[in-house]
Formats: sequence, C-alpha cells, structure tokens
Amino acid sequence: MKNQYFAGVDIGSTMTKVVIMNQRVLAEVIGPTGPEHRKLANRVMEEALTRASLSFDDITYVVATGYGRINVPFADKQITEISCHARGVSHLLPGVRTVIDIGGQDSKAIKLKDGRAVDFVMNDKCAAGTGRFLEVTAEGLGVKLEDMGRLSLEAKNRAEIGSTCTVFAAQEVVSKLSEGVPLPDIIAGLHEAIASRIYGMARRLKIEREVALTGGGAKNIGLVRALEAKFGYPVLVPPEPLLTGAIGAALLGKDMVKKAEEKGETLPRSERRLTEASIFE
Amino acid sequence: MTEEKKPEERKKRRTATEAAAKIGGMAKAMTIGVAQAKEEGKPIASSFICCCYDEIIRAMDIVPHWVENYAGICGAKRDAQRFLERAESENFSRSLCTYALCGLGFDAWREELGAMPPESPWGGQVKPDMMLGSGQLLCDPRNKWFQAAQHYMPDVPVYDVGLPWPQYEHDYDYREVQDYYVKYIVEQLKGLVVFLEKHTGKKMDWDKLSELVDLTDRTWNLIWETYDLRRAVPSPMGTGDAMNTMVPLSFMMATQQAYDFFKELNEELKRKIANKEGEVPEEKYRLIWGGGLPSWFALSDFNYFNSKGAVFPVETTYRMVEAIYHFDIDLSRVTDPLEHIAWRWVKFWTYWYDKARKRPGSHPDVERLIQYIEDYKIDGIVMHEAFSCRTWHVGLIWQLNLLKKVYKDMPSLILESDIVDISSYNEADTRARIDAFIDTLEAVKGKQR
Repeated sequence: MKNQYFAGVDIGSTMTKVVIMNQRVLAEVIGPTGPEHRKLANRVMEEALTRASLSFDDITYVVATGYGRINVPFADKQITEISCHARGVSHLLPGVRTVIDIGGQDSKAIKLKDGRAVDFVMNDKCAAGTGRFLEVTAEGLGVKLEDMGRLSLEAKNRAEIGSTCTVFAAQEVVSKLSEGVPLPDIIAGLHEAIASRIYGMARRLKIEREVALTGGGAKNIGLVRALEAKFGYPVLVPPEPLLTGAIGAALLGKDMVKKAEEKGETLPRSERRLTEASIFE
Repeated sequence: MTEEKKPEERKKRRTATEAAAKIGGMAKAMTIGVAQAKEEGKPIASSFICCCYDEIIRAMDIVPHWVENYAGICGAKRDAQRFLERAESENFSRSLCTYALCGLGFDAWREELGAMPPESPWGGQVKPDMMLGSGQLLCDPRNKWFQAAQHYMPDVPVYDVGLPWPQYEHDYDYREVQDYYVKYIVEQLKGLVVFLEKHTGKKMDWDKLSELVDLTDRTWNLIWETYDLRRAVPSPMGTGDAMNTMVPLSFMMATQQAYDFFKELNEELKRKIANKEGEVPEEKYRLIWGGGLPSWFALSDFNYFNSKGAVFPVETTYRMVEAIYHFDIDLSRVTDPLEHIAWRWVKFWTYWYDKARKRPGSHPDVERLIQYIEDYKIDGIVMHEAFSCRTWHVGLIWQLNLLKKVYKDMPSLILESDIVDISSYNEADTRARIDAFIDTLEAVKGKQR
C-alpha cells in the first residue's frame, strides 16, 4: 500500500473538509459549505490535490461522508459520519470509548468498541445543542464565533440563559447585554446551556472514558471546559477536530482497499474526473 | 388560508404480505361504512383503541367510529395539518396529543360548516351519537378528548369507562389486589350497558355478547399464533405490515371479519415460511420495533430499512393481545361476559409482571422486550419518540437503558417525530440516522462473525 493515496471528503452543514492520506495526512483543506455541494466538493478536492502534489488519478480510493455525502459525484463510496468519526477518533486518539461530535447543524454521541461505532444518539431536531446555537447568539452579541471560547474564560459570574430555543436565547442575550451583564459572563452562560443539552443527549448512551470531542464545537475552549465540568473529568480533543470525519473516511477507504486486496478483489471506482456540476443544473 | 392547503403527495409503501396489502381497502370501507350507517340511522359511537368494550357495542349493533384511526388516516394521507391548525386556532396547545388535536380540529370545523370540511379524507368523520371515553392509565386524551369535543357537540353524550389495572411492584404480587380491579371494571361496564341502553333505546342481547366474547378470545389466540410465526428466519412479515394489520386487530375486534382476516394471514405466513420467502430477499439484520407509535405519514421508512436488508419480525406496538391459554386463570370458566372481559384485560396488562419479578431490577415492559429479542433473534432495537404522545412514549429511553443494564447492550436507534404532525419530520435526517444505525449493526455483527 506504499504508493496508495486515499481521500476523505466530509461535507458538513457548515464546513467542508478534505484530507489526502497515505501513511499520514499529506494535505488537508477546510472551507465553508455553500449551497452548491457538488461544485464545492470539486473545488476542495482540486485544492487538496494541488497541496499534496498529486493528480486525481493517483488517488486509490475516495470516501465521502457528512450530510452532503451524496453530492460528491467522484466519491467511490459514501459512508455515514458516525462510522467515519468512529474510525477517525480511534486512529487519532486510541482508547477513546465515547465521541461527542458538535457540528454546525447537529450533534451526536457515539459509543466505540474496538475502534468501531456500536451505538449512537443524535440531535438533529433542535439547533440548541449544536454549533448553530452559538452562531446565532454570537451574531446577536456582535462577537466573532472563534472568539467566544477565549472570551468565556474571562467570566466572573456566569449568566443564566433560561431559553432553550435558539431564537429566544438570541433575544435573551441581547436583553442581558442591555442590562449590563458582562459579555464573558453571557458567553459562559451560553456555553453552559449548550453543554447541558449535549450532556443530556450523550447520557442516553452509557458514557465511558475516555471521551473525545470532535467537530467545530471542539474548537471552542469555553464549550470544552463547560462539558468537562459536566463529565467531571478532562476530555480529549484531536489536533484539528474538524478533520476527524474526513480522516476517518480516508482510513475506511484504506481499510476497504486492503481487505479487497487480501481477497484478490478490486473495488469499483468512480471516474477520476472533476466535472463542474451544480445542484442547480 | 388553511382551507386552501392541499395535502402533500403520499408515497406508496410496499407490503410483504398480500393480507396487509388489502388493509387500505378494508380501512377505507370501514370509514365510509360509518357514514353510511349514520345515514341509515344506526347509532354511532366515537370509540378508542383497546377500549375493552368492543364486544359490548357490537352486541348492541352500535357502529364504532375509531377517532384515533381517523386522525391516523389524515396523517397517513399527509392531510392532517389543516385540522391541527384548526385546533390550534381554537387555542389547543400544539404539544397535546395530535390524534386528539386532529379530531378536535376536524369536529370544530365540521360543526361550524354544518357539513364535512372540503375534501375530507375518505368522506370525513361523522358527528357521533355518543362518545365513549376509555380511561387507561397514563393516557389523558382518552378521558379529556371527548370532554373537549363536547364544546362543539354539546348534545352528544359522553360515557367515560375507567379501565385501571394493578401497577407493577417488584416486591408484591398483584394477585393480592386483582379482584378489586376486576370488580371495578365490571361495575364500569355495567354502567356502560345502562348508558347504551338508555341512548339507543335497545336492550343488551346478553347471548350475543357471550358469543362475541368467545369470538374475541379465539381471535386473540389466532393473532398471537399468527404473529408468532414471524419468528421464522427469514421472517415473512415485518412491522411495516403489522402497522396495517393493526386495523383488524384494533378496530374490528369482536367481528368475524377480523377472525377471518387473521386466518388468511396465518395461512399466508405458513406458505411463505414453507417457501423460505422472507420480507426481503436477503435478510441481514433482525430488528424489534421496541416502542412508540409510528409516524403514519412516513411508513415508507420501513421500506427504507428493508432496502438495507433490515427486517422487523416483531414489535411491541399494536400487539395488544396475548394467547388466552397462557394466562394463569382459565378464562373459559368465567361465564359472565362482563367479568370475562374484565379478567381478560387485567391479565393482559399484568402479563409480564411475574417474569419481571424474577429478574432483579427489571420491569414488565423490559421483560417483554427481552423475551421478544430472544424469541425472534433480534440484532437491534428501534424506538420512536413521538413528541405529542405522552402515553406510550413516556419512559422509552428509560426502558432502553434498563434493558441494557439488566440484559445486554445492543445497537439502538431512537427516531424522533410524531404520529400525525408531519412538521416534526425530516426524511433526509431520519434516513441519515437509519444509515448510521445500519453501520453500527454491521460493526457489531462484523465483530461477532
């Protein structure tokens, strides 16, 4: 498998991620997901190939994941993000038993056994408990999303956010601001609110240590701390939590190719062509 | 405008059995038959599923109109929203039971118009001559729905039958108190007979009632034996079909039609088993529908499971019968028909108590799941949390966690939506969850191989 290369394409609701791997990650691209998934998939793949100094024909197998996975026309296989996160975390953080993925549009908890997902729960019904909650409230506060974690660590007296609905919470934080509640206290309150929702969901599974956080939410140190307080112990975060699914996808592709080769089989592949397609075409 | 809303196009669902494929026509004929009976001057009673008075109303030639069924039909035809919105405009909370909301919205609209709302599914829900509540532990609409419906039909009398059963306690035998419950239910049923005689001007035919009680016993046994055939590998019938066959089970009990239907289904399943004909060509995963009423507008999700090689040989939902001969009393010796009915239901609701007491920390609902998991060789469990139903959905997650604690860990999937309110449903998200669940099943099975 020395000269084989594997690509993982993870089209999430907010961000699209691509990695190209052989024994290690050779190239990674992260960009915002727009409405035209297919076009975007092509663009990020092209960029990843350039960064890895590879041509598309060099790629042995491509696995797509994420909620937009069906819109990756050049993928050889589509695999759910549950399996991809499980594989990615097992590779990056061996020994992890529970994965909490906080995405832009949903959140999920995955239970791992021997590196494979054996149970999961998901919240895709309500924005509270997902990255969208922080996105909306950040806008209301006039704060950049990426600054929220750092700011919340300055909190002296965490505010209580009573609204579980994202829309009402956005209104509540604005009124708290007008009452003079310091910004860090409000943001810490928001992190507490989202952490409560996620912890409540995750408790449906028997949470077992070690616990890893992935997805965009894991890049928010304030949210990570709030969740650690709920769990009562530290959680692990991969170096780039956004890439976990894409890495898992690439690794699952690698596993499949290896298994097929052992059986003397060849896996069917899609055409190695980046066509300019759009969901509107 | 609410009135102008058109229903979304409904997706056709495949059934595994020929018998289940006939149900649509049977249910339609039943619904239309109520309107015809009304025109003929026959008494119509709004009734609830598992009411325990099936034989009584049938013996008095009263035509039942099953209100939950009609709301389910509106949901299945994706035409419930306008009735839900109507109820909401009457200030009923959207978080109430959407069966009740749909029915109340329909009734309010029909009474306002003095005619059926435009393009009512299957001709609409008629104004009944009486409404028969059927109090079950937990389900408040079975008491409150008809009280609320009287706001729009103040001239329609209500009789509210109380049907309690002994609650489960791990450290005492419910038999200590079962006689009190039977006595109470019998008194309730006697009161119902008096009420029905008063409002129909007709006397109860006690001989006919006894015959129908016997027919119901035989139908229960037949259904139990028929569903038990689904243990076969490959399984010839799944929960998707059972969501059809619940119609004769729940809405045609105490009729020869129900008995004959299950006789036919029984023969069909035996034929399929002999031919090794399963619900899907290649059965990969055997699942239990472990709780929750289905989303009536999304029954094609069962076909989606099937497309992944997953089948549901068993479910706890709408399996509202046990084999009478499995009870710890000889029901044939209870000759008074009202007592017979009361004992049958008390024994049904307490059926799993003894088993639960034998396993420390267990519970009857969990024991039932465990038994089915073993009998039907189940790989994973699927539940549906319907947000608007507090009755059957209270404690599903708790049951699941308890199952894993007292029995064994197994892949599980919780679907979240509603029974009638389609605004709670997202097909893409639901199917993404199903895909992920199939992945976990494969991971677990892969490890076992």
